[in-house]
Amino acid sequence: MKYSYITPRKKSFFTKDFQLMFTFFNVTFLMLFITYIFLLFRSYQFDSRAQEIVLTKTETSQSIEKMELYTDKVTKEYLFAENIFTANSVLKDSITNLFDLVPNRITLSQAKLLENGLILYGITPNEDVYNFMLAAPLRSVFNRTYSSFYPAQNGWLRFVSTNYTDKEKEELNED
Amino acid sequence: MISKLIEAIYTKVFVNIIVNRSSTNVYIEVCSRNNVDQSDEKEFESISMNEKMHDFIYSYTQDTPYFYISILDTSQSQGAIPTCEKSQMSKFYDADTSTYICNSNNWAHYSSKYDLELLKNSYKDVGIDFIFSSFSVLSSFFKDKIDSTMAMYILVEDNYISLSVFDNSKLLFAKHLDMEYEDESSLLIDEEEEDEEDFDLGESVNLDDLDVDDDMDSLDDLGDIEDLGNIEEMTDFEEEGEISDISSEEDDTSSLETEGFNEDYQRYSLIQNAINTFYKDPKYESKFIETVYIADSIGVSSDLKTYLEEDMFLSVYIRQLDLSSEICELAKEEV
Repeated sequence: MKYSYITPRKKSFFTKDFQLMFTFFNVTFLMLFITYIFLLFRSYQFDSRAQEIVLTKTETSQSIEKMELYTDKVTKEYLFAENIFTANSVLKDSITNLFDLVPNRITLSQAKLLENGLILYGITPNEDVYNFMLAAPLRSVFNRTYSSFYPAQNGWLRFVSTNYTDKEKEELNED
Repeated sequence: MISKLIEAIYTKVFVNIIVNRSSTNVYIEVCSRNNVDQSDEKEFESISMNEKMHDFIYSYTQDTPYFYISILDTSQSQGAIPTCEKSQMSKFYDADTSTYICNSNNWAHYSSKYDLELLKNSYKDVGIDFIFSSFSVLSSFFKDKIDSTMAMYILVEDNYISLSVFDNSKLLFAKHLDMEYEDESSLLIDEEEEDEEDFDLGESVNLDDLDVDDDMDSLDDLGDIEDLGNIEEMTDFEEEGEISDISSEEDDTSSLETEGFNEDYQRYSLIQNAINTFYKDPKYESKFIETVYIADSIGVSSDLKTYLEEDMFLSVYIRQLDLSSEICELAKEEV
């Protein structure tokens, strides 16, 4: 206040027009900011869901691999069991057939099943009964048949019959 | 900091109002930084704020919040005093009802608080930012002379005269004179004087001394009345009309001249009275005035200069002053 008797009124750039403009811009910026925050949040949500999905996918593929392995194993076990079952059936049939071969007059005391053969121990009233009634069917089944006799205490004969099947011949037969 | 930056973006508008005797002069300057972009001036046939004036000011101030409205103080109770000390001030004016501003710690200009409030109230529609004293304008305008010379400085306005005596930047005397106020007082004096004259005439004239016959003889000296009939033959009606037009124009100009003459004489007598007061009043440190600098804002005739030079033997220098621009410059200094 060098010359004037009064001090000037305070001048502010914050006029009504400016207030309106300021409010308008503020509201606009606020809306943009809220939209930005919303989009950020949604983006975060999508990202986390994508991560979860990737994780689930990995887990699922891992479990699928595990299941495939398990299925393979089970299949193999099934095949293995089936083989065993088949082998058992075959054995059972073989044993049944074997015992069907043995006539009533001959008594078996021991039988040994080998991979490619059969060893029978038993008592026969005489050598002929054995040769006619047991040795003949055995010879038809096996390739090589060896029999040996030794006398028992009651006058009957104890016998040992060793029978073998040749693999080469079987293969040839199979072919 | 931010407001300063924003202030630089906006233009500044300086509105300067000068109230004359029967009109108001509004001068507007639009400035950006230190350059004047636009200026406009308009005179309104009113001495108070009216709708047209308001609209004119508003058309410039609506675009920017940084507008400053200045007005020249019209108070009759304004003046300037040669001291800045409060204890000394009461010698010169009523310090309780006035406010003052000290200039360079050796003189002050003052004005009535009531008149300032009245002025603010009259222009409350647009608001007033600065009220400047005529003495501020005067001291600013003659800054180059005041600092180095001893002289009288006069600001001549339409209806006021601001008068000050500076001796090397020290104020010796100052007076603010209202011409209308002085007019009325001088008229009253004239009327009183006329009344006195009439009274004297009534007393002195003796009806018995009047000689009727002498008057009758003098009538014989007039020309032959019959000759007057020839005038009708000599002049056309139209010519007569032209002559009457010219004579009426002459009457108008002569009345204006007389008015100007009267005003200049009135100004001269006011100045003369003020100088007498300065010389005679013991309150003021009186020194002999040789030079007068006149800041002329209205275009005074050379008569004033002649009166002062011939009657008071003063060296008179007249400088033309654009009052509106000067107030605008003061406002710019204040901002």
